[in-house]
Amino acid sequence: MHIRPFREFKRNRIGVTGLVMFLLLSTTAILAPLIAPHDPWDYSDRSFQPPSMNHLLGTNDIGYDIFSELLWALRTSVFFGVSVAAIACTIGLILGVSAALVGGLYDLVVMRIVDALLAIPSILVLILIAAYFRPSTMILVVTLSLIIWQTIARGVRAQTLSLKTKPHIKAARNMGASTVYIMRKHILPELFPLCAMGFVTKARIAVFMEAGLSFLGIFDPTTKSLGIMMSYAMRYLYLDVWFNWLLPAVLSLSMLIVSLALISYAIEEIFDPRLKGGNNAATV
Amino acid sequence: MRNRTAKIVTIYLLTIFFLLFLNFLLPRLLPGDVILAMYSGYEVTITDELYNELVQLHGLNKPLHVQFFIYLVQLAHGNLGYSHICHAPTTTLIMDALPWTMLLVCTSFILSAIIGMVLGVESSWVRGKRTDQSLLVSMLVVDGIPSLAVGILFLTIFSLYGGWFPTSGAMTPYSNLAGIAHIKDILWHLILPLTTLTLSQIPGDYLLIRNSMILTIREPYVLTARAKGIKERKIKYFHAARNAILPFFTRIGIRLAYVITGVLFIETIFAYPGLGLLTYNAISNRDLPLLQGILTVSVLLVLLINIVVDLLYKKIDPRVEYAY
Repeated sequence: MHIRPFREFKRNRIGVTGLVMFLLLSTTAILAPLIAPHDPWDYSDRSFQPPSMNHLLGTNDIGYDIFSELLWALRTSVFFGVSVAAIACTIGLILGVSAALVGGLYDLVVMRIVDALLAIPSILVLILIAAYFRPSTMILVVTLSLIIWQTIARGVRAQTLSLKTKPHIKAARNMGASTVYIMRKHILPELFPLCAMGFVTKARIAVFMEAGLSFLGIFDPTTKSLGIMMSYAMRYLYLDVWFNWLLPAVLSLSMLIVSLALISYAIEEIFDPRLKGGNNAATV
Repeated sequence: MRNRTAKIVTIYLLTIFFLLFLNFLLPRLLPGDVILAMYSGYEVTITDELYNELVQLHGLNKPLHVQFFIYLVQLAHGNLGYSHICHAPTTTLIMDALPWTMLLVCTSFILSAIIGMVLGVESSWVRGKRTDQSLLVSMLVVDGIPSLAVGILFLTIFSLYGGWFPTSGAMTPYSNLAGIAHIKDILWHLILPLTTLTLSQIPGDYLLIRNSMILTIREPYVLTARAKGIKERKIKYFHAARNAILPFFTRIGIRLAYVITGVLFIETIFAYPGLGLLTYNAISNRDLPLLQGILTVSVLLVLLINIVVDLLYKKIDPRVEYAY
């Protein structure tokens, strides 16, 4: 492959902006226990304090420091997004590659499951499961990964099928390369862009789902979450708390998802060179 | 052709199997009592009488396959269960809410498709220029802001602080409006949820059409049309865009899941009395029969729409007939 992804990415202004935003937000999230000025579960303070030096964003209805809460909630979002994306990508990659290489009935079964999963609105499934089991965060991570891996598997399978017939793979095979060697040296590297793309897309879905589900009130209520913050802030809007309570939560969530959207577009542009540049070649 | 039919039938059967698994098997697989797991909402006390009635209804004293048969018969009769929290059959509740959701979804689907397509076509035509780049970046940003956030901001700014739009509902209660005033009232309540839902969909359409146009523009027939001296606008919309919109139709099915997610949050935020708000209420009350009913109806709707799209697609792009 004659695309140098990292060099190309560095030149892509949209991608770099997204990546910088994402890194800033996730670093803040990871360092939350160090940065947060207060314990986010400490409700000993007066409630509904306006922003001050002690409480940067004031306190909420039961006296939590909103700024610390925000940092911890961001941490949940980032953790949820990254882990769901990692699990979903792994499942999608394994099933996609194996379906393409094994073929036959196995391929058929996997692809039909993929199609069926595409037709089912994952949010409703997740809501139903969450309502039955009232699961912990980890179980929700796994459940969500189990219902959103399908698009990755589909893309990976198509790509592997087309790679399988390429001359350089045949040449390698003729020279006696083992399946594992071909997988490692020829197939997996070429699947990297698809996986990177899938990772970012799924992370985005997961971040949204986590905030959304906790907004609806079916997420583990003991964790800090942007969705929970929003839903509580909405209840006290009449107290004019929207600029120090609602808005920060809404903005953090939006910034996190916008950063992922920018990165995913940049990846798409880099690996599909036809999308780059101007129309000159075609319109002259 | 036969292969294709077989494929689609398998997909539908699998989907329905998955649905049955969730609705029928899952509550029975849970440790503990099925009735208590399904019906113990926050506002329901399960008396012995009700308990026995429910056991009879679901045939829980019979073997599993008989229970399954009873479930299927009820499903075939359009009986999706009874919500003991709302004191109404689930089917009635869903049918009351469905028209509002349909109104919201269909209108926003058409609006966003038109806006997204026009923007995408125009943007791809001047690709790399400033207009295109700024449109692209702003679309990416709009795409990233979740509908949840947009809805909350709109509600706060336009309804709570501005007071220009209603904060909840689909029409003014007890207003006894009729005729044009009634329609105006409904539109008035529709505007904010509709704008939010449409905004959340435009970027998807825009990006899809823009990328597909970029690939179409370099086709030789576009060059030919240009050489023949056909007007720019005509080439853009009747030659290039005619083919560039095809991926839009193949993706309607996938997009539906996205729209359902959007509707759920938007209706909840604006208290718009559709399926989304019904789902939210079912969640808050732990009304599991109602949740199951909503899941069933939405999956069946998605499948139905997929069939329609599939049939339509053959009309729009006759090449698929030969592809299989």
